Amino acid sequence: MNRKLTDKLATLIFTLFAAVIVLVLAALLSYVLYLGIQQVSWDFLTSKSSNFRAGGGIQDQLFNSFYILLWTMIFTIPLGLAGGIYMAEYAEDNKLTAIIRVCIETLASLPSIVLGMFGLLVFVNTFDIGYSVLSGALTLTIFNMPIMIRTCENAIRSVSPQQKEAGLALGYTHWRTITTVLLPSAFPSILTGIILSCGLVFGEAAALLYSAGMTTPNLDFGNWNPFAETSPLNIMRPAETLSVHVWKVNSEGIIPDIRDVADGGAAVLVTANLIFNISARLLGSWIHRKLTSK
Amino acid sequence: MVTVALPETIETAFDVQGLNIFYGAKQAINDIDLSIKKHEITALIGPSGCGKSTFLRSINRMNDDVPGFRAEGLIQYDDINLLTDNIDTVALRKEIGMVFQNPNPFPKSIAKNITQPLKEHGIRSKRKLTEQVETNLRRVGLWDEVRDRLDTSAYSLSGGQQQRLCIARALCIHPEVLLLDEPASALDPIATAKIEDLLLHLKDHYTIILVTHNLQQAARVADSTAFFYQGEVVEHTDTEQFFSNPKEKRSEDYISGRFG
Amino acid sequence: METNLRASERLVRKSRKLSLKNPERNGKIVVYTAAFLTVVATLAVTVFLAQRGLQSFYMSDINPLEFFTSTNWNPSGDNPTYGALIFIFGSLAVTLASAVIVAPLGIGAAIFMTEIAPSWGKKVLQPVIEILVGIPSVIYGYIGLTVLVPFIREQVGGSGYSLMAGIVVVSVMILPTVTTLSADALNRLPNGLRSSSYALGATRWQTIRRVLLPAAIPGLLTAVILGMARAIGEALAIQMVIGNTELLPGSLLDPTATMTTIITLNMGHTTFGSAENNVLWTLGLILLAISYLLVMAVRFLGARRKI
Ligand SMILES: Nc1ncnc2c1ncn2[C@@H]1O[C@H](COP(=O)(O)OP(=O)(O)OP(=O)(O)O)[C@@H](O)[C@H]1O
Ligand SMILES: [Mg+2]
Repeated sequence: MNRKLTDKLATLIFTLFAAVIVLVLAALLSYVLYLGIQQVSWDFLTSKSSNFRAGGGIQDQLFNSFYILLWTMIFTIPLGLAGGIYMAEYAEDNKLTAIIRVCIETLASLPSIVLGMFGLLVFVNTFDIGYSVLSGALTLTIFNMPIMIRTCENAIRSVSPQQKEAGLALGYTHWRTITTVLLPSAFPSILTGIILSCGLVFGEAAALLYSAGMTTPNLDFGNWNPFAETSPLNIMRPAETLSVHVWKVNSEGIIPDIRDVADGGAAVLVTANLIFNISARLLGSWIHRKLTSK
Repeated sequence: MVTVALPETIETAFDVQGLNIFYGAKQAINDIDLSIKKHEITALIGPSGCGKSTFLRSINRMNDDVPGFRAEGLIQYDDINLLTDNIDTVALRKEIGMVFQNPNPFPKSIAKNITQPLKEHGIRSKRKLTEQVETNLRRVGLWDEVRDRLDTSAYSLSGGQQQRLCIARALCIHPEVLLLDEPASALDPIATAKIEDLLLHLKDHYTIILVTHNLQQAARVADSTAFFYQGEVVEHTDTEQFFSNPKEKRSEDYISGRFG
Repeated sequence: METNLRASERLVRKSRKLSLKNPERNGKIVVYTAAFLTVVATLAVTVFLAQRGLQSFYMSDINPLEFFTSTNWNPSGDNPTYGALIFIFGSLAVTLASAVIVAPLGIGAAIFMTEIAPSWGKKVLQPVIEILVGIPSVIYGYIGLTVLVPFIREQVGGSGYSLMAGIVVVSVMILPTVTTLSADALNRLPNGLRSSSYALGATRWQTIRRVLLPAAIPGLLTAVILGMARAIGEALAIQMVIGNTELLPGSLLDPTATMTTIITLNMGHTTFGSAENNVLWTLGLILLAISYLLVMAVRFLGARRKI
């Protein structure tokens, strides 16, 4: 066959693939947003869900999602930073490092339902914390830690070695060079990574089914005593998150307005995810520009 | 290990004897002897890969973390051998400053590039810090150029200005020695001239070792010149003598551009 | 610096006083602890899952051979049987089929992004596809449930809840993953490869087929394997569309179940320690083992890539 023609044909096919993928995915997203937007109202966002009546909202679930996200990040950020610093600055090229790397990769590729089982076994049952915000956050910490470690490692590694030399040559100790030279320079990428992983944690459901649970007590948003049974801040209470709710309503809901709640919840979930994603990118490049140019 | 041999005269800053440096199995410096005088500019010249940077970086132990790096022999400095294990590299690098080929200011404001190292070494007083910013920027002739924009990013400076800022940053912590690894090779002739001027001013107070590929530069600023070739020091003498009347055939060839 | 101290007094390390306030050492301790925690976490996951997962065999007396080879799943009968082949088959079928669908599509799109429209691909396509990687899987499941299932029911037949729906949903879900990772692999190739091939007069397609693809194969395989890892571990999106019947599917249009879906559904309402609960842990253990295998495969390919 004529090689020019083959080339044209190949180009056409690849372009077609790309177009199909983008179109399909874009269509899916717009579909979710389009259907959902009609359901989302202030009322929907701020009223309680109902187990069998129509007209329920997603207030508690939305709060739970953010609250579990908050605790997960409180646990993960220090761990991820420390682990990333270890991998980028302290890990020698030896067996131990290889083992740690295998562990990080294994944790990263663990199915989240399996992590959820581990959370059930260890946090919920063995430590006897029960279905709770805390169990959920700890489970998600294992889910998120490898991602954070990699993010921080890559961010630190991508700081120019000349910056590190500048610090060392000025008589900074290794640790001070890390904290005053490397980390500030790596900060934009680390921040981007943190926000991106917020998106992942926010949307995670399978790992939470049997750790944070699929129910929420009747939260009293007037009670901010973190030890009170119905306080939103209580970390020992079960907490169904938004993505768990979307799944539950879809797969075993018995309310009459399943579709409405599901549409609205899904749209909120997608919107939150898009906000995390886009803000991460914008913020990262904005800070980067501020730090490195005029 | 030799620790008793005091330098021949007080005027010697570094007395290098029998120095061998390896990267793994590869030998980068081959049994060199070299004496570097205090308060002089010593230029190190030689073709690419002959070991100039390697030598320079072994003085302030910047290569310690390079895998496979090994230095043996003597770099006598005052009453110690800088190659021994018990050297406090942090104190050493504070005393022996270094400036690199590519300007590497911190991605912070101009002022912070000076104040951060000072803070790191224990200076807290606001007044002292502000004062030091001015003093050190004046020393490198940068003050008048940047006094109105001390809070802008150091990256907004030109390459030559950045390099002078890096020199100011190295000076602000009061080193005794300055190691400069091709500090002007990334700069245009005017910026280069400024740096050379600066070095001539600084040598009254500092011992300066300058690696350069620019022979004219060595001739212009250095008091003595050492010619490195394939890990050895071929010749080290008075600069004038070196360029007008080199003893070694290889030096002559190099100066006249017959190789390298 | 005017000082009367000799260098031996200034520059030689003094034996450090034992003090709690040594940032250099404390920092190191923190950092090593965090790294060590990853090992602890991995070991804990492995040990706990193994311990529970093996109970099916030594506490509940389930015959391993039956477990792995029988399709007879009837845990609540008078004479309960625990053949898990249905679920293992379901997981493998979904994973392999979606890999077969996604590999050419994802790699093709990656080629478009890196070789055909690199500037546009980098600026627009790459970020868009990376965003899609992060879309929660319940969303994919929800779309499957509301669009795909009815579509299959009306256009193809059956109830719509089917192995086919599972495969399609998982394919759509892992497509962005495979595409971005493939694009990364292609972007990592040295530019010299391209220019030397074009310099020899090769067309773009010839360059792609004879030079770039062979050079990128380990990276592309890695991309597909990581996509498969996501597929085999996915639970909720599949559970929402696959129908969840504990039967081996006779055709693509039949409902069935996977390891992850049966865990999702049964974990909540089986008694801890019962045989029916233990087999779920065994399935979890199998998923863990598969994760290990895939990680090893990726590492093996990574080592080959460096050569
Ligand atoms: N990190 C390293 N690992 C292994 N070998 C090295 C390393 N750094 C330098 N070398 C080798 O040591 C020799 C001397 O290198 P060095 O950088 O000291 O040369 P140089 O004289 O400074 O050259 P240039 O003028 O190009 O800067 C070279 O052969 C180089 O390849
Ligand atoms: Mg050099």
